[in-house]
Amino acid sequence: MSQRDIDRFERVVLPHLDDAYTLARYLVRDEHDAQDLVQDAVLRAIRYFDGYREGDARAWLLAIVRNCCMTWLRRQSGTKKVSFDAGGLSVADPRETDARAIQRSERAALARALDALPDEFREVIVLREIQELSYKEISDVVGVPVGTVMSRLARGRKRLASALGLDAKEAS
Amino acid sequence: MRCAECTELLSAYMDDELMRDEQQAVRDHLATCADCASEEKTLALTSRRIKENFMRHSTPDVLKARIRNALAQDDAFTLAEPTSIASRRVWPRWPALAAAGLVVAVASSTITATLVQRSVAGSTLAGAIADSHIRSLMPGHLTDVVSTNQHQVKPWFNGRVDLSPAVPNLDSAGFLLTGGRVDYIDGRAVPVVTYARRQHVINVYARPSDARSNSAADAHERNGFHMIEWQSGGLDYWAVSDLNSAELEQFVALFKRG
Repeated sequence: MSQRDIDRFERVVLPHLDDAYTLARYLVRDEHDAQDLVQDAVLRAIRYFDGYREGDARAWLLAIVRNCCMTWLRRQSGTKKVSFDAGGLSVADPRETDARAIQRSERAALARALDALPDEFREVIVLREIQELSYKEISDVVGVPVGTVMSRLARGRKRLASALGLDAKEAS
Repeated sequence: MRCAECTELLSAYMDDELMRDEQQAVRDHLATCADCASEEKTLALTSRRIKENFMRHSTPDVLKARIRNALAQDDAFTLAEPTSIASRRVWPRWPALAAAGLVVAVASSTITATLVQRSVAGSTLAGAIADSHIRSLMPGHLTDVVSTNQHQVKPWFNGRVDLSPAVPNLDSAGFLLTGGRVDYIDGRAVPVVTYARRQHVINVYARPSDARSNSAADAHERNGFHMIEWQSGGLDYWAVSDLNSAELEQFVALFKRG
C-alpha cells in the first residue's frame, strides 16, 4: 500500500469514524468493546481497501463495522450485557422538575426497549433513526433486501411504541 | 386500500420510502381512516422520541489515536489478519506492538490536530498524565527504548531521570513489556514504562511521592480510558490505559507484587 493509498483511505474512510463508532456503541452497548471493534473494523477496512473502488464510503465502512459487531455479539450470546448508558440507573435528584423526571424515565424505558430488541431489529432502528440512512443504504450495510429492511423497521418501531405506552390501542 | 395493507406500509410511508403511487394510496387512506391515522401519529411520535433520546457518539480521542497508530504501521496494509477482538483471550501479537514504537510518523491530519489541541487542556497532574498518555499513542511517541527485557529497560533510565522505577516482568500474565520513555510532566522528567495487553497500551508513570499518604490505589476515569494511582517504595505510580478497568486493576495488582 503506497502513501497515496494511505492518504486516500484517510480522506475517504476516516471522516466516517463517528458513524462507525456510533453504530458499534449501539450494537454492542459497551464503550470499550465498541472501541476495540471499531479499531478492528478499520484494520479490516484497510486490508479490503483495494476492493473498494468508489461509491458510498460510509455504507462500506458501516457494513464492515456491522459485521465485526454481529460476529462478536454472536460469540458473546449467553453472557448478559448491562443496559445502555442512556440513563435510568442514576438516583433521582429531588430538585429535578417533573418534566425532567418524566423525560428521564422515558429515556430509561426507551433504552430498555431498544436493548430488548433482537439485534436485527436494533441495527435497522439505529441506522435509520439515529444515523438517518436511506433504506437502500441500510440494505447495503446489513446485506438484506430493501423489503426486509422495511418490515424489520416497521416491527421494531411497533415494539418500541408499545414499550413507550404509545400503542394505537389506547388511542383508539 | 385496506387497513391491513396500510398498517404494513405506514413505517415506510413515514420515511418517504414508498413508490410514488403507494405513497399516494397510503395518504388517501389516512385521510379517510381514523384508526390508521392515529397509528401513524403513534409511529411518528415513537420515531421522534428515539431521535430525541439517543444521540450520535463522537469517536473518543484515544480510539482516534489507536487508529492513527495502526495506520502508521508499515504492515497495517499487508497484515495477514488484524488483531481480532474474537481472539482477545489469546496471546497478543507483541512484535507488532513493539514495532508500533518504531514507526515513522506519517503526514499529519485532522486527528493529530485534535490531539494536539486536547493536550493543552489538562491543568492538573492527572490531566497532564492523561494528555501524555494520549500523546504516547501517536505514531512514534510510545517508546524511546524498545525492549521486552526488563534488564535493558531499567538501566536505560539511569542518567536520564533521577529516580528508578520498578520494571517488573509480567509476561506470564499476558502483560508484555514493550519499552520505556521519558516524558516531561508538571515540570519534571518522568520515567514511563510501557506494557501491552492485546492491542492496548498501558503507560506506567513514576514520580517521587508527595506528602499525601494515601497508600490505597486511587482509580480515575478520563475521556474513555482508566487511570489507577498508587504508592510504592517512595514513588507515586500511575497506570493509564484504554484497557477495561478490571484488567487494569489486575495489572496494577501484579505490578505491585513485582
